[in-house]
Amino acid sequence: MIVVAYWLVMNFVQNPEISSLPYYTFRTLLRITITLGISIAWGVSFGILASTNKTASMILVPFIDLLQSVPILGYFPAVIILLISLFQGSELAIELSAILLLFTSMAWAIFFGVVGAVKGIPVNVMESAQSFGLTGSKYVRHVILPAVVPALVSGATLAWCDGWFFMIAAEYIEYAGTTYWVPGLGSFLAKAAYVYGDITLSAVLLVLITATVVYINFMTWHRLMERATAGTYKPVLKLDLSGVGQLGVIRAIGPRRWLHLGNRVHWPKSLIVASHRLRKYTRQEKAIALVMALSLVFVIVYLIAPQVSPDVIKQGFSSHPADELVNLPSYIALTMGRLGIAYIISLSAALGMGILAAEHKKFAAVFYPIYDIGQAVPILALFPVLFITLSRTFGGTIGLEITSIVMLILDMIWYMFLNIVSAIRNIPSEIREVGKLFGFKGLKRITHVIIPCILPAIVTGSILSWGTGWNTIIFSEYMPYGASTIYLDPASVNQTYVADEIAISLNVSEVNVLHTWQTQVNFNASHLQCINVSEGEFLRRAGEIKFDGGTIDNTSGSIGPINSTLLERGLGVNGSGRLAIFYFRVLRRGNSEITLSEKTKMLDSVLKIIPMSKAYSLPGLGSYLDKTGYLYGNTVLLILLLAIIATLVLLMEALVWRRLLRKFEKYHTEV
Amino acid sequence: MPVLEVRDVTKTFQTEKSKISVLEDVSFSVDKDEFVCLVGPSGCGKSTLLRIVAGLEKADSGQILFHGQPQTSPNPRITMIFQLFGLLPWKTALDNVEIPLEVIGMKRESREEIAKSYLRMVGLEGFENTYPHDLSGGMKQRVGIARALALQPEVLLMDEPFSSLDELTAKTLRTLVMDIWRDPSLPTNTFVMVSHNVEEAVYMADRVIVMSPRPGRIIDEVKVNLPRPRAQYLRDTKYFQCVDDVVAILEKGKQ
Repeated sequence: MIVVAYWLVMNFVQNPEISSLPYYTFRTLLRITITLGISIAWGVSFGILASTNKTASMILVPFIDLLQSVPILGYFPAVIILLISLFQGSELAIELSAILLLFTSMAWAIFFGVVGAVKGIPVNVMESAQSFGLTGSKYVRHVILPAVVPALVSGATLAWCDGWFFMIAAEYIEYAGTTYWVPGLGSFLAKAAYVYGDITLSAVLLVLITATVVYINFMTWHRLMERATAGTYKPVLKLDLSGVGQLGVIRAIGPRRWLHLGNRVHWPKSLIVASHRLRKYTRQEKAIALVMALSLVFVIVYLIAPQVSPDVIKQGFSSHPADELVNLPSYIALTMGRLGIAYIISLSAALGMGILAAEHKKFAAVFYPIYDIGQAVPILALFPVLFITLSRTFGGTIGLEITSIVMLILDMIWYMFLNIVSAIRNIPSEIREVGKLFGFKGLKRITHVIIPCILPAIVTGSILSWGTGWNTIIFSEYMPYGASTIYLDPASVNQTYVADEIAISLNVSEVNVLHTWQTQVNFNASHLQCINVSEGEFLRRAGEIKFDGGTIDNTSGSIGPINSTLLERGLGVNGSGRLAIFYFRVLRRGNSEITLSEKTKMLDSVLKIIPMSKAYSLPGLGSYLDKTGYLYGNTVLLILLLAIIATLVLLMEALVWRRLLRKFEKYHTEV
Repeated sequence: MPVLEVRDVTKTFQTEKSKISVLEDVSFSVDKDEFVCLVGPSGCGKSTLLRIVAGLEKADSGQILFHGQPQTSPNPRITMIFQLFGLLPWKTALDNVEIPLEVIGMKRESREEIAKSYLRMVGLEGFENTYPHDLSGGMKQRVGIARALALQPEVLLMDEPFSSLDELTAKTLRTLVMDIWRDPSLPTNTFVMVSHNVEEAVYMADRVIVMSPRPGRIIDEVKVNLPRPRAQYLRDTKYFQCVDDVVAILEKGKQ
């Protein structure tokens, strides 16, 4: 079926790169498989080490917890900066960064799965094995490895899914204004959307990718899982949801073999990782984590400080986009707001769906298949498709705002759903019976019995949701187009003080041989007054220029036409930089947008029009991080922002989730 | 007329691969003021039978009659206590007792008063605001008993109520249950208990109904004619004779 789909797509979709589709698929598959291999090797060896050796455990586990608390996508710019500077932008470096990025998203699940499995070996099994003389390597072979296999399979399934999830982010790497395309399905999808602007192709690719993921999951992981879970000590890996699918698709569609999609649902986004994140830390672990965090900071400072004099740090804080640091509180608020809205919507939707699905077979037949497919869609791959569709109806900024929230919801909802359904199905039968015996019905049953019972699961689901939400928002607040871009920065002004002066720069990114450009700027004349227009430094890189700032019209709110051209013919500038700077005075408080008119044009050295697209960015922490890393490559600021995000994540975990969990857990220890 | 009548109850469970027959044509009745005990090997369906009587499960065929009226759903006049207590962990002891009263629509003040009086009766005065996780197993079961009695039911069903407790606690609670049963001021006076402990059954019941291994059928019943209170007869040959009778029937049922 998949082959037929590929054949159809390759023959009926028109695109210069379509013939490479099988090659791209192969590259992506290879990349994910190689990374999975590395992750398994790493996860098993370190997992066994960490779970059998006390010293290793005390060092490794807090360290990995620490790394894990930062949203994976947050690492991306940092990893890229490191690798590209190491390998000087060679193809190997790009490939390596893609693999490393995938590795950071895949390795945790396996590691924690292995640790959990080894720790879950019952004491009586351990003792009896030792009493029969199984020690050392024999013990590993006969006791540890068999116990690890199921966790490994489920961890690998998770990792595999995570890999697909992050694939698009890993194959399409932007750094300091340059885009690196790693050949593969993810980058092809990104290109289809950003470069070719071909919505049909992107949608087709998205469906194709989803189908491939579901197909492979079904062919390999589900089968392996079935075999591997036969002899587990604890049914945790299956989340006690065995048989869920039996009610699902089969009942709904009838027993046709090829539709057995929902037959063996395995809930790949399992709770393994979460349960480990939330276990109680011992005092030693806390201390070691603290020492390690401090020493990590120390090492970083120590390594970087001698090379980068304070000047570099100063420069980092004075160059772009450090001027936006004043907006940091509002960025944090906006990003948290988006996450909060998406979280509330996901929670309520998942709660409704979960209760219905767990309690009524009819709804289960509808919701389980939706879950099965929904969680297999690589959300990040959905981003371009969704954005292009929505931006056509709502325009760029609002379109991106909606896209961002929709993506967050799609991302969060399945974690919540999974947790809620499994918790409802695991409500002890006595509690159910008590509810029934004493006549709880309808709403009262839900509020008095079901919801209190599943509160801990809701908290676990929330932690997972927020974790994945942070990842998604880093990606989705910023819409970088692959082709060259001309944009205003910042594109909107939210000024509190009248008479403030603000500077807005007109930037270009990733342009090839720019020779001449022209534009016109529109602004809200009742809020802003333009004082001055001055030239940027970008075009001067190639020689003398002529700059014409046009006329400033402060009654209707326009500047232009603004022209700039290199005096000498046949020259051009490559890369990214600033074209012009506009100075405004604030006349009235409030939010006001500044836009470029349709007349904006860029010409190259032979006076041909350079195709342009726009970058959209939503004010927020995620877009700020993206800009800092990808657009400006400002390492100093990047580290600061990463630290801020990590702090937010950890604070939220400590202040909200852990407290809630501890509170609920008290009432939920075996009654 | 008997208070409770079980008529030709049959039950099978459907699993993925096969049908398991759990109960086959079970019939018995319980009179007013009677204490009946169902014993049988594990898996014989005695707990399922009790759940069918409580209205928690439906029989495939057969009927449950309460004062001659067929019963299919839970009825506040028949309540139950559970092996693992079935307390709502997020509610205090008092709230746990109050909840069934709330469901039947009792006002706050009166239900609080009733709940408190029953907690006092089972010896939990001062523990009203304690959550189940801070109570010992025996205390949890006391809350379970108070909750069941607060509805002032006629029939009390007990599903192995003492088997998750240690022997000393179980002994105290057995006495408590017997006292409740014999207390003329309480409306609850018809008791049906499921147990796998023959000594316990003989010690407590007027009549011990013995069931066969799966599919569960009633093989025979033994009337216990020991005078009450029975604590003094625990070393009596009559008591041991009764126990031996029940054990012999159980053994016979296995073949």
